Order: sequence, then C-alpha cells, then structure tokens
Amino acid sequence: MKESLLEILCCPLDKHDLELEDAEYDGDEVVDGVLVCTECGERYPIEDGIPNLLPPDMREESPA
Amino acid sequence: MDRRTAVRETYDRIASHFASTREYAWPEVETFVEGHEGRLRSGSVGLDLGCGNCRHAELLAGAGLEHVVGLDVSRGLLETGRERALEREFDVSLVQGDAATLPLADGVVDIAVYVATLHHLPTRTARRDSLDELARVLDSDGRALVSAWSTAHDKFDETEGFDTTVEWTLPGGEAVDRFYHIYAPDEFEADLEASDLTVLEWELSSGNCYATVAGSER
Repeated sequence: MKESLLEILCCPLDKHDLELEDAEYDGDEVVDGVLVCTECGERYPIEDGIPNLLPPDMREESPA
Repeated sequence: MDRRTAVRETYDRIASHFASTREYAWPEVETFVEGHEGRLRSGSVGLDLGCGNCRHAELLAGAGLEHVVGLDVSRGLLETGRERALEREFDVSLVQGDAATLPLADGVVDIAVYVATLHHLPTRTARRDSLDELARVLDSDGRALVSAWSTAHDKFDETEGFDTTVEWTLPGGEAVDRFYHIYAPDEFEADLEASDLTVLEWELSSGNCYATVAGSER
C-alpha cells in the first residue's frame, strides 16, 4: 500500500485515525508493517503490501 | 464459525477460478461510471466495494482518480485483483475489510460501486449496516451504484426475498456453497430507503436490482 492511503483509512471499529508502525518499504510501497488505531490501540497487520482491516473477530488466520 | 467468516473462507477457496470467469465489467457499471466522470476531479477517490478481481476498480482507475480503493473480505480475491492490476497496468489500492464495518474515513469517497456483494452479507442487520457505512464514507456530493441479485431473475420462482446457497463448481468438480440473500425488488428498495443513503434512481436489469445513491445529508 501507498503511505498516502493512510489519509483515507481508519479503524473499522471506532473510525479513528491509524498510525503506521514498523514499516518496511519497497520503493514507495509499504510492504510490511502494522496500522495502529490512535484511539483504541487495535493493531492491524499489513500483509505483503495489503492492509488487513477486517474487524478482529473476522480476522483469524484461514488455512493456506 | 461465524457466517461472515464463512463467506470470506468460501471466496478464499474459490478465488482463482471465480476470478477467471469474471473477465468483463458489467455494462450497467460502465454506464454509471461514464455518467459520473464529469463529477470527478483530481484528488477524487473511487471505491470498488466487494472488488473481487478488480474488474470494476479497473473501470474507475481509467477515470483519472487520485486513489482507487479495491476492498474485499477475501484475501484470495484481492490477490486476483493484484494480478489483474499488474497485467493491465492500472493502479488500485487493495484493502482487506468487511463491507459492514468499513475502514474508511467519513466523506472521503467521491464515487463508489457496490456491485453483487450486498447479497453475500448473511444478516439483514449486516446488510443495512453496510448501506449506512457506504453513506458515511461518501462525500456529500458523492455517488454510488448498489446492485444485488433479485427474485426477478429467471432462475427464481419466489416473489419474497429469501436466504439460499448457490453452488460454485470448481474445475475438479468439487462444489462449494456460497451464501446469498436473494432480494425481492421492493425489499431492496425498502432497505435502501431505511438506510442513510439517498436513492436517486433505481432499476431492474438482468435480474439484478440497481440503485444510484447519494450519501447522507451532512
């Protein structure tokens, strides 16, 4: 994902802003990292460049 | 396992084959996007909600937007969208998310397509929540096209809306059930009217209900 996408993303639960932590870049793409809600602290992983912003109760790993 | 998770897992299982059969954008969506290009400016944001392989995100990407977001519950389908974007050289920002709890800020979306996805949400509450969420993320001047499968399709004899499963047959012959809520057209209209969206136009086409909607008054 592009870092500029953060301007329009939010926490799915409480709709507050997200902060990018532990970012790894490939050019201007964020390929790995965590999006953290500035309000509730919920953490959303960026997995191979795609942020997983499913609510936590829908997020459990599915079998590969 | 909760039923929303089940829908995600179903599409993860069938993603590659499903996407390979979803080559072309629907004409109703092309007409909608062409009809709203005049509203789009640099800095505009488009949303393909339930993007699957991003065939409609591709249409939006051709309209000169700042960001096109492709959102889907299924990681497997998002991967097919990524492949399509690479092959066809269009830009789409892929996001895994739930249509009933959108991870998008208020009023940021100028144009959205929410096509053939609403009917996969397994409860009326989730379907109505998703319509309110669409209203929330649309700009005050934003527009969206919402479609769902309906009882008006030749496949169905029913006249009331109902829940069902429709099999998807994988190339090896294995059948995978997919949840659908088949809307009665008047039920579709009633759910839209009850939501925070403002219905501007609606029609039946090829057994699907289509509504052009605006966001909530702010």
